[in-house]
Amino acid sequence: MGGHLTQQIRSAASALAAAAAILAGAAGAVVPAQAQAQTLKAVKERGALVCGVSEGLLGFSAKDAKGEWSGFDVDFCRALAAAIFNDPSKVRFVPLNAEQRFAALQSGAIDILSRNSTWTMAREVELKLIFPAVTYYDGQGFLVRRSMPVQSSLELDGAKVCVQKGTTSAQNVADYFHANSMKFDLVTTSSAADAVKAYDANRCTVLTSDVSQLYAQRLTLAKPDEHMILPDVISKEPLGPAVRQGDEQWALIAKWTHFAMLNAEELGVSSKTIEQALKSEKPAIKRLIGTDGKLGEKIGLSADWVVRIMRAVGNYGESFDRNVGAGSKLAIPRGLNHLWTSGGIQYAPPL
Amino acid sequence: MAWIRPTTGIALLLAAAVVWWTAPAAAQFRRQAPPETMQIEEQPGYEPSAEEEHLPAGYRRQLVFFRTTEAPGTIIVHTSERFLYLVQGNNRALRYGIGVGREGFQWQGLVKISRKAEWPDWTPPPEMIARQPYLPRFMAGGPGNPLGARALYLGQTVYRIHGTNQPQTIGQAVSSGCFRLVNPDVIDLYNRVPVGTRVVVKQAPEM
Repeated sequence: MGGHLTQQIRSAASALAAAAAILAGAAGAVVPAQAQAQTLKAVKERGALVCGVSEGLLGFSAKDAKGEWSGFDVDFCRALAAAIFNDPSKVRFVPLNAEQRFAALQSGAIDILSRNSTWTMAREVELKLIFPAVTYYDGQGFLVRRSMPVQSSLELDGAKVCVQKGTTSAQNVADYFHANSMKFDLVTTSSAADAVKAYDANRCTVLTSDVSQLYAQRLTLAKPDEHMILPDVISKEPLGPAVRQGDEQWALIAKWTHFAMLNAEELGVSSKTIEQALKSEKPAIKRLIGTDGKLGEKIGLSADWVVRIMRAVGNYGESFDRNVGAGSKLAIPRGLNHLWTSGGIQYAPPL
Repeated sequence: MAWIRPTTGIALLLAAAVVWWTAPAAAQFRRQAPPETMQIEEQPGYEPSAEEEHLPAGYRRQLVFFRTTEAPGTIIVHTSERFLYLVQGNNRALRYGIGVGREGFQWQGLVKISRKAEWPDWTPPPEMIARQPYLPRFMAGGPGNPLGARALYLGQTVYRIHGTNQPQTIGQAVSSGCFRLVNPDVIDLYNRVPVGTRVVVKQAPEM
């Protein structure tokens, strides 16, 4: 009985608290609206976007000898700068290691993190972040010798697998082999580079890591052409940009920048076709590039924000191909990152 | 780059210079964009080396992840991305790098392979003769033939999936031709697909 009463008191108290919260929210309606636009406003006042990237990851973010940043993650910030300033060079890139990256975002040192980071619930709720979109679906895969008669990771029974010690990759591979009734030997190494060396020295038949990393590691092997990455992926690593909670406008800008680049690809709008697209009579194209409606202005940008992105960076497929895809050294197939209409799972809501 | 004709090379340089001059910031981030079309003429009699036929990694034949509702054994040609997929089922496909016609095949939809041929003969169409008058009117099949090692005829159309003696055109839109693969790839594909195979052709969306 006592417990029941306590429960009633508790629920009454929480109802009161909720009511108070609603009242407070209503009274302070002006304040959140102001707070919401703070990042874009700060970026505009500063005259540049501050973008956190990795310290150097082939295809994703790298600085050349002239100090120019390029890569898939870099392009995302270039696209934002193009949308905001009509100038993709108005970005200050801040290289961050894995430990620094979220703290830099929380402290306000950067406006956005675009650094091959996996979207998880823990990161959103514990670090008070939002991952507005998945720009790159990565996942753990397997690299094998072409001479090995294998087409699927289900044919890896009895394999000797090289993997870095203490990583989720090591756990995933054990789970995967057990779940599929396959025997395996694990050859663990203290670093990722050592795992590659061990594989190249024939100490194992299979190298496992995230697929994007395997493609980069393949290039460091003595004879890259003699190795291939199997098309299977055994874990989920949805990578994307992250922003702070509490600024919905900024999160919307990041989210729709990605979706606009995807929709552009789906509609055939690219850096090469944008002039033609400006004359298009197709409603979906007109909405996208702002020749009909001014959706961009509703998120604090210009009506022609997507035109700016196309001219500076291009659509999603162009950025993918140039940095990590068929047009790059990495030559990663689109795979999961293909449009939903072309064999992948990249799917953008319409404008 | 060696295969780009000098005049085209100069034109590209000029174009690049103009872009650089007018929009330095934007130009820097577009440097690796593949050329939209390739000005290259047929080279009957030219026999590519095995080295030339070994494509850059991005266009090499490989098994890839590929979701589709089409049945295994179906060929799907994505002209704008310069790839041909042979559906394998279980979310995968064999992917081949292709070259596509710049103006040739604008049609999209479903056709079936109506005929298969080894080392097809070549009869350049009148438009091609008009453009390149020195071309032979007929050339018997063989290693130097522009149609390459195999041809798969698409329905009742004049178009086909064929080989090539110009491996450098893979990944490009060239001034003539249908869907071309390097000879080792077209032989591989030929051996995997029978007459009657469904071919789905997808084009870039219209503006």
